[in-house]
Amino acid sequence: MSLLSEIFSDLFARQDNVLTRVDPRTKLIVALGALCAMIFSRTPLFPLAVLALCLVATIAVGVPKRLVVLRLAAPLGIASVLLLLQSVMAGTTPLWTLVILGAKITITREGFSGGLLLASRVLGGMSVMLLLSSVTPAHRIFHAMRALGAPEGWVEIAMLMYRYTFVLLDLTAEVVSAQKVRLGYAGMQRGLCSAGLLGGTVILRAMDQAVATNEAMRVRGYNGKIPLGPMPALARCDAWILGGSGVVLAGLFFGTEVLCR
Amino acid sequence: MKQKQLVYIYLLFMAFALPSTAQAMHISEGVLPPQWAALWFIVAFPFVAWGLRDLRIKSQRDPAFKLMVGLVGSAVFVISCMPIPVPTAGTCSHPCGTGMAAILIGPTLTVVVSSIALLLQALFLSHGGLTTLGGNILSMGIVGAFTGWAVFRITRKLGLPVWSAAFLCGVVSDWATYATTSFELASALHGTSSFLKMFAAIGASFMPTQIPLGIFEGVITAGIYQFIMPRRPEVVECLGVEKPQPVIESNKAEAVV
Repeated sequence: MSLLSEIFSDLFARQDNVLTRVDPRTKLIVALGALCAMIFSRTPLFPLAVLALCLVATIAVGVPKRLVVLRLAAPLGIASVLLLLQSVMAGTTPLWTLVILGAKITITREGFSGGLLLASRVLGGMSVMLLLSSVTPAHRIFHAMRALGAPEGWVEIAMLMYRYTFVLLDLTAEVVSAQKVRLGYAGMQRGLCSAGLLGGTVILRAMDQAVATNEAMRVRGYNGKIPLGPMPALARCDAWILGGSGVVLAGLFFGTEVLCR
Repeated sequence: MKQKQLVYIYLLFMAFALPSTAQAMHISEGVLPPQWAALWFIVAFPFVAWGLRDLRIKSQRDPAFKLMVGLVGSAVFVISCMPIPVPTAGTCSHPCGTGMAAILIGPTLTVVVSSIALLLQALFLSHGGLTTLGGNILSMGIVGAFTGWAVFRITRKLGLPVWSAAFLCGVVSDWATYATTSFELASALHGTSSFLKMFAAIGASFMPTQIPLGIFEGVITAGIYQFIMPRRPEVVECLGVEKPQPVIESNKAEAVV
């Protein structure tokens, strides 16, 4: 669970660097623009270029390489499977033929290029989200979402969920340790029973915490709404960054499309 | 002949290779083409709006309700990160948690909570994605929650005990989630080949992990529900689940905690 906390935490987003100082609305719009451009791209070059840019930026702002690898491990697995599946299942023009256990497997040209495109989109998209979450604390992302029109209730629940996930992760880690010491996971049956108890305990503690939080917030004037406050108008430098990023993304997108035609 | 061999090899590959990626239970960023991503957003939007309307109405009646939903959502999110061993695949996967959430806070609010959990997972855990959020909300939040909730209600009305209703809720919501994910993936990725063939292939790829995982999720959902009901009857009643049971003494199993 500690590893999960480490991955899930926005610790690195709280550092002071060039990217953390940028307005979260700007970062969110640029990230969404990059993601949309990626799913519209017809060549793997654009997603791969975005992947390279984001990885360089993520490492440059001081996120440990180990954490980057951990975060990208699952997408890398998915990308490999997609590439393999598309290569074998889609298309008709043979590219390579492999013989495995007496059976012929034909990798097709169309399937391979389609798979490569999908795999690059997965990795590129994940790298954008990795960078965004590495340079923007969660509460600022939610605040920016509210400023961009996300419903108030949704943003409030999101903030509460994010805040209390860490409290509950710590609790879960404690309970799991206690269960393991008492051989709670020795065998399938005991393991399932322990998992049920663990889940029940986490939900009960969450309910208790909700009651306590409500009381604490009531005495501080909570009336059913968490005041988020307005965001200041976008600073001139942030507007320039937004415009500049848009131009770079558009240039990269159309450049790679033309290059591959 | 070539086709048949390919199918065998594919199924063999699926049985051994794919389960290792089963931890990523959502459709990954970039997998859905733009038109499909947009369609699933359009389908999911009214359900999220419905959930937010319910949230607003209920929290006007009781301001503490929003906190309860947030905290229960947080707990379900943490539970959905719990590893469950899948013996058929030799790996670990994790429960969806939507069936449990649907019993506790209702299906419409589960859609809201799922949309947030999916966003958090996409941003901070690299599971799922932002352009695929609509598709993932549909499979996990909407289909998972509504089928689980319907199964729970129907089985309770048929007179089944709470634990078996919760078990069936967990199983059905999990399997329905993956069936919908398979449908979404097949409809987006089948290309010029047959949709049904692709749907069957993706469904088959999920089977080695999802059949046992669904059953395990059912067992865990039943365990959680059995654990909570007698201990917090007032809160369970406040959430509108059903009539509370009498408080019981701590049992033998609780000693493990």
